[in-house]
Amino acid sequence: MTAITIEGAARTFGTVRAVDSVSIAVRDGEFFTLLGPSGCGKTTLLRMVAGFCELDTGRILFGDERIDTLPPHRRNTGMVFQNYAVFPNLTVGGNVAYGLRARSVRKNEADERVARALKLVQLDGYGERWPHQLSGGQLQRVAIARAIVIEPHVLLLDEPLSNLDAKLRVEMRGEIRRLQKLLGITVLYVTHDQEEALAISDRIAVMRTGRVEQIASPRDIYERPATPFVASFVGTTNLLDGVIRVREGESAEVAVAGTTLRLNGVRGGAGDKVVLSLRPEALRLLSPGEAAPARCVTLTGTLGEVEYLGPVTRFSVSLADGAVLQLMALMPPGASGTVTVAFDPQRVVVLGAPG
Amino acid sequence: MRAFFGRNAFPLTIFTIAIVFLGLFFLWPVLKVFGASILDASGRHFTLANYTSVLSNRFFLNGLTNSLGIAAAAAICTVLVGVPFAFCLARLPISGKAALLALAALPLVLPSFVSAYALVLMFGRSGIVTGALRSLGIPFDSIYGAAGIVVVYTLTLYPYIVLPVTAAFKSIDVSVEEAAQNLGASRARMLRTVTLPLVLPSILAGALLVFIEALENFGVPFVLAEDRPILSVEAYKLFVGETTDNPASAGVLGMLLIVCTVIALLVQRGLLARRNFATGARRAAPLINVSPALRRLGATYCWLVVAAALIPFMAVVVISFMPFSGPVLHTGVSIGNFTQLFERSYRPLTNTLMLATLAACGATLIGVPIGYVITRHRSRLSALIDVVATSPFAVAGTVLGIGLVMAFSSGFLILTGTWLIMVVAYMVRKLPFSVRSAGAILHQIDPSLEEASINLGVPPALTFARITVPLMLGGIVGGFVLTFVTAASELSSTIVLYSGPWTTMTVAMFQALEGTSAGVAAAAATVLIICTILPVALVYRLLRRHELSML
Repeated sequence: MTAITIEGAARTFGTVRAVDSVSIAVRDGEFFTLLGPSGCGKTTLLRMVAGFCELDTGRILFGDERIDTLPPHRRNTGMVFQNYAVFPNLTVGGNVAYGLRARSVRKNEADERVARALKLVQLDGYGERWPHQLSGGQLQRVAIARAIVIEPHVLLLDEPLSNLDAKLRVEMRGEIRRLQKLLGITVLYVTHDQEEALAISDRIAVMRTGRVEQIASPRDIYERPATPFVASFVGTTNLLDGVIRVREGESAEVAVAGTTLRLNGVRGGAGDKVVLSLRPEALRLLSPGEAAPARCVTLTGTLGEVEYLGPVTRFSVSLADGAVLQLMALMPPGASGTVTVAFDPQRVVVLGAPG
Repeated sequence: MRAFFGRNAFPLTIFTIAIVFLGLFFLWPVLKVFGASILDASGRHFTLANYTSVLSNRFFLNGLTNSLGIAAAAAICTVLVGVPFAFCLARLPISGKAALLALAALPLVLPSFVSAYALVLMFGRSGIVTGALRSLGIPFDSIYGAAGIVVVYTLTLYPYIVLPVTAAFKSIDVSVEEAAQNLGASRARMLRTVTLPLVLPSILAGALLVFIEALENFGVPFVLAEDRPILSVEAYKLFVGETTDNPASAGVLGMLLIVCTVIALLVQRGLLARRNFATGARRAAPLINVSPALRRLGATYCWLVVAAALIPFMAVVVISFMPFSGPVLHTGVSIGNFTQLFERSYRPLTNTLMLATLAACGATLIGVPIGYVITRHRSRLSALIDVVATSPFAVAGTVLGIGLVMAFSSGFLILTGTWLIMVVAYMVRKLPFSVRSAGAILHQIDPSLEEASINLGVPPALTFARITVPLMLGGIVGGFVLTFVTAASELSSTIVLYSGPWTTMTVAMFQALEGTSAGVAAAAATVLIICTILPVALVYRLLRRHELSML
């Protein structure tokens, strides 16, 4: 139960800046996720906290104690590896007791704690089994039990679900979240799966090429992305280029896709370029002759590709200026050719200058 | 700086030990040989006279061409024998594959000069088969000479081709072959244009090993070459020759051997450049369905090759239990040869067992940590250590022996004539084995296992002992046994380094060969075969899992 403070952490491998002056403050008992595409530095950052990767500059603290100068075996972190790293030469019980033995915990107490940890991950009675007798999901549970039994300051999970099949992944992530709440432990979680990150986290740091793009709650990450990268990496979105026409206090008139929108929270003056994000599910396709709902803005275009996905349909609409909008909505019967799309300008997110 | 050393204390310690050991007992002796070849008789002035005198000498030039020609012929013959063998083993539905593979690997651990001697016993001037043929009126010229040497190399070195090429045939992904057939290639065309090119790197790697082994081998040409000059034998004769003690010329021959090896290595590298064919089979290509006739043909071929390679060894064992009077063999059963062999003392046997055990312990203790550090801590320094630690393989045993005598018969460390110098020579010669086998096992152990242990609070050194070593144990034991076995049957460096009380079984056999006591030689050969087969049979399961995949 410890806050993690990362201050200006940086590491260069050859000419690649794997982690580029990253500062993150994880609160005590928080489930904090590092999200990003492969090669963004999220795993390197996690390994810095565990001590398997040295910092070129910066420092890391658990609470008030600086830990980046400690060797990895003295940091008291519990790490769950992507490939589980369950020792094949020890039984399940031996694996879970391994860290307790290193801490010279008395045998009686160790046995008790091992049994409790196995029960927590729903593996009670598996202590005598060997790792090669277990399934992938069970190995994952052993790895988690082994990490939490030592009562670590923080729990570090490195893409723990990526080797499981889709259904088990959803089940396990719920279980990890349940355990975290039960133990009240601080978790640093690494994943490239945006849905997983949104589902499980208190807060998310989206990373790209060694830098943090945004730190926010899942809801804010999705609904108020700070950069075009965050908007397009988390979920899918339509990014539209616009130009500020008139500026009036907090709001501004922005010319985009052949129409003009009045938007709040726009930075910059008249003539500046901005990028607008519009989620596919914020758009509606109007039936022929249907009037636009109140406050909504309409655009006209040509219906393009249509993908039927079951609950919803995905389709694209080409606008007059060449921009293509992706929509995720119910498709009115008989729609074809020239169509009208409606959206609420409040759901447009302004992302500042392109680039 | 402190942080750097703190982080790298373990690898740096290992590197220091590796550099001191290899520098002292490998690089310095080789440098001594080089020095002897470029210095005049006073040992002070640079001269090329040694090279000009050797290279203008028709006898030594013949030696050079003989050595190179025989090594090249051996490489070609092993490829011709080994590749079809590997193909049958990997891709044809023949039965008894496990046994075939085990028997095919066996010559690797058996002393090759025993095979050579067996051929002499059978096909030599007074050999059994020669005699039988003559009595039937069939004229038969004896086995001596280049052809005989190439035959022995082919029969004893073909596993160097079979093991890697079988693995390569098995590692071709099925989709590659299916793609070829889908694009309209017939099965024969597919084999020629896709399958064979994909295993070519393994064939070349194996051929290089055969070439180097054939070039440096001392025992086989010593038994079979008679008066024809062979570099590795001539270097020995020049160095220890009673009449012409000539370290300078011996040095020149040693350097020529090393240069030939390096050139072969560069040629192989050049041929392999831009041919990185790691397909990483997700699903291995299936067995090829052939007619029963072809299948039987393939099986017959494999069993014939295995039999041809192993019959000489069996023949020696049988012959060793038959009575001899001098070189003449009589029918009957007798243990006279063995009593004669151990008449004076059991020292050769105990020496062999003791020296090989010490060498295996030493090579394992040094080689496993080096292999660990090279595999787990990648850096320029570790790449350099890797090259140095595996290069003893490319230096002929006689040359290393000569270098060790030159380096340690005077000065601060005098080892010549002791048992220690023999152990050191074996350790250096077998170090590539333990380094490479340790590396091969480590590649199969996920580094995150060690990180998990450290993360749970166990310091790195203790993690190495508690997690890494137990996981490596099978491979370590396998490497230990291979080192023991090959050290026990080592002749080339032993013959230069041994002194009276430290006579080994190989030397006893060598002396019996030089004399005329064929029976004693056969008995010594049998003892050597037992010394090598027994440990290998005991740990065969381990070897199969860890070592065969390494080659």
